[in-house]
Amino acid sequence: MFSHYIDLSWRSFKRTPLVSLLMVIAIGVGIGITMTSLSVYHMMSMDPIPEKSDKLFAVQLQSMDEGESWWSPDSMPYQLTYRDTENLLNADLPFKRAALMKTGFSVHLNSDKVKPFLEQTRVASRDAFDMFNLSFINGGVWSKEQESSAAPVAVISQSISKKLFGTSNSVGETFYLDDLSVRVVGVIEDWKLHIKYFDLNNGSFNKPEHIFIPFSLIKANEIDTWGNTNGWKHEPVKVFNDKLQSEKFWLQFWVELNNASEKRVFEAYLENYIAEEKKAGRFTREKAEYKLRDVNQWISYWEVVNEDNKIMVALSFMFLAVCLANILGLLLAKFLRRAPEVGVRRALGASKKQVFFQHIVEVGMLGLFGGVIGIIVAQVGLFGIRQSLSYYDALANMDISMLMTAPLIAISACIIAGLYPAWLVCNTTPATYLKTQ
Amino acid sequence: MLKMNNISKMYQTEMVQTHALRDFNLNVEEGEFIAVTGPSGSGKTTFLNIAGMLEPFTGGEYLLDGIDVGKLNDNQRADLRNQKIGFIFQGFNLIPDLNLYENVEVPLRYRGIKAAERKRRIEQCLEQVGLASRAKHLPQQLSGGQQQRVAIARALAGEPRFLLADEPTGNLDSLMARQVMELLEQINRDGATIIMVTHDAELARRAPRNIQVVDGQLADFTLYQGNPNMAVGA
Repeated sequence: MFSHYIDLSWRSFKRTPLVSLLMVIAIGVGIGITMTSLSVYHMMSMDPIPEKSDKLFAVQLQSMDEGESWWSPDSMPYQLTYRDTENLLNADLPFKRAALMKTGFSVHLNSDKVKPFLEQTRVASRDAFDMFNLSFINGGVWSKEQESSAAPVAVISQSISKKLFGTSNSVGETFYLDDLSVRVVGVIEDWKLHIKYFDLNNGSFNKPEHIFIPFSLIKANEIDTWGNTNGWKHEPVKVFNDKLQSEKFWLQFWVELNNASEKRVFEAYLENYIAEEKKAGRFTREKAEYKLRDVNQWISYWEVVNEDNKIMVALSFMFLAVCLANILGLLLAKFLRRAPEVGVRRALGASKKQVFFQHIVEVGMLGLFGGVIGIIVAQVGLFGIRQSLSYYDALANMDISMLMTAPLIAISACIIAGLYPAWLVCNTTPATYLKTQ
Repeated sequence: MLKMNNISKMYQTEMVQTHALRDFNLNVEEGEFIAVTGPSGSGKTTFLNIAGMLEPFTGGEYLLDGIDVGKLNDNQRADLRNQKIGFIFQGFNLIPDLNLYENVEVPLRYRGIKAAERKRRIEQCLEQVGLASRAKHLPQQLSGGQQQRVAIARALAGEPRFLLADEPTGNLDSLMARQVMELLEQINRDGATIIMVTHDAELARRAPRNIQVVDGQLADFTLYQGNPNMAVGA
């Protein structure tokens, strides 16, 4: 009977093409707007590294004096000092660790072949590539020796490699970061991320960097941050070393802990570390405070998806509800106009249930067509968002789950809107129409 | 086969109560052809609708093939209607979007009959009413008489034991009316029980049994032919 109902629905569309088209457009626009905001919300709230998001932990240390507060939800500083970062990185622990800092340079070849350009650069310790699942196309990460000796080497992305050298395989080539000549040791696939979870300090949805240099270069070459530097007490910084020794927060630190016992070991290490630093006059608070947050906890802690985004999604659903209210009116008119035919069908043996189901299939089909139109409208909407702000490049996209969701929402919404008209028409007394038709 | 005991039907508005049927008693035996006559508004169509389970009755008892219709729910009534009753309406009531084949197919689909069996029955019924060659035509491409024959084919397709006809010739000219009447007589001879509401006295006289409805009650009847023991009325 289901295929028969589909056939009847199609005939019904052809019988009233204008009203049907109007309903499909209404649901299409409603779904399009809803899916646009829902897609952005979905991308914003999606786990950026699902295969290991519960194993990567952002480290926070409470190194401020008693009584000092921070603007984070639990008053813990978001970043670490250089001293703590270096100490945690060099600690004799069996865990992968990533010390990170955002910086930037004028990138050039010291020739007229390529126009110099400003490029953000990520200072990173060598474990970062493995921890954050970065894939090498050519070469690999710098060696431990290169890291410890602050060798001027770099890993670059495929797109930067092509931009500078016209090839994906630029291992061995040299280029300049300001005046520093660096040699390419590895080329990675472009890091595509919709949330820059590893460093949420300067915009959650900014694009990841394309150039990576060893962490040890910070000290060796006095490379300062292009991100935030936050202090909580007066500390004169006259030379770069003052900043390195200061209590200012300007670096990010991540650790990979594969199970609860590894986490316990690392927590014990942190407690010991804080205790040792306390002896040296730092970490003056009575109780050692630190936090390990996995990727999703970190994103939530930073409120990457804020109330505004949620309100936007809610508003788009309200718009969909308005569209559905209009569709409900049109469906009522359409179905009740068909009451005489329903009377005949009832007289010929159709039960109320069969009549009801026939009409529900029809509104379901309306929803399906509306869903398809909705996907097109949403694609146009997302394209508009991407064009308006490159910040949304990675976010304003519809992934496969959203593509599947669109018709499902459309069909469900239409069925909800069609319940009352279908119920009304299946409850009409057939005898009323048989004489008058 | 069809037995109505003290059936009443009352329509109620805020101000007025109207008794469409009251103390209506009728016993119909298998194979009968009954013409129901009476003035307009007397309750003929209401009787037919109740007989066809298209509307509920207010009081009394209605047994169809021994089944107490008053105790059935909507789905059971729909099933019973689909299996035992065929309808023929004055206005034909063919579904305009469906061609003749599909119109005849409607009751068979609701009965869940398989496609091959549906095809056999539809072709047979359209053949019986002389419209097999027009199976792919839409109703509006036919004359009134032809449309009514399609409606009859549709009613016959389900192989009903009862045919309820509400002024089947009301919209037809006399020639076509006669043809439709002859078709109904043939169907009756083939074994179906027919109850036909009509205003046409000449057609009514052709039915073996006549009953008259006045003010919602069986007023009188004349038995033209058939078994004199067929009881009508209380």
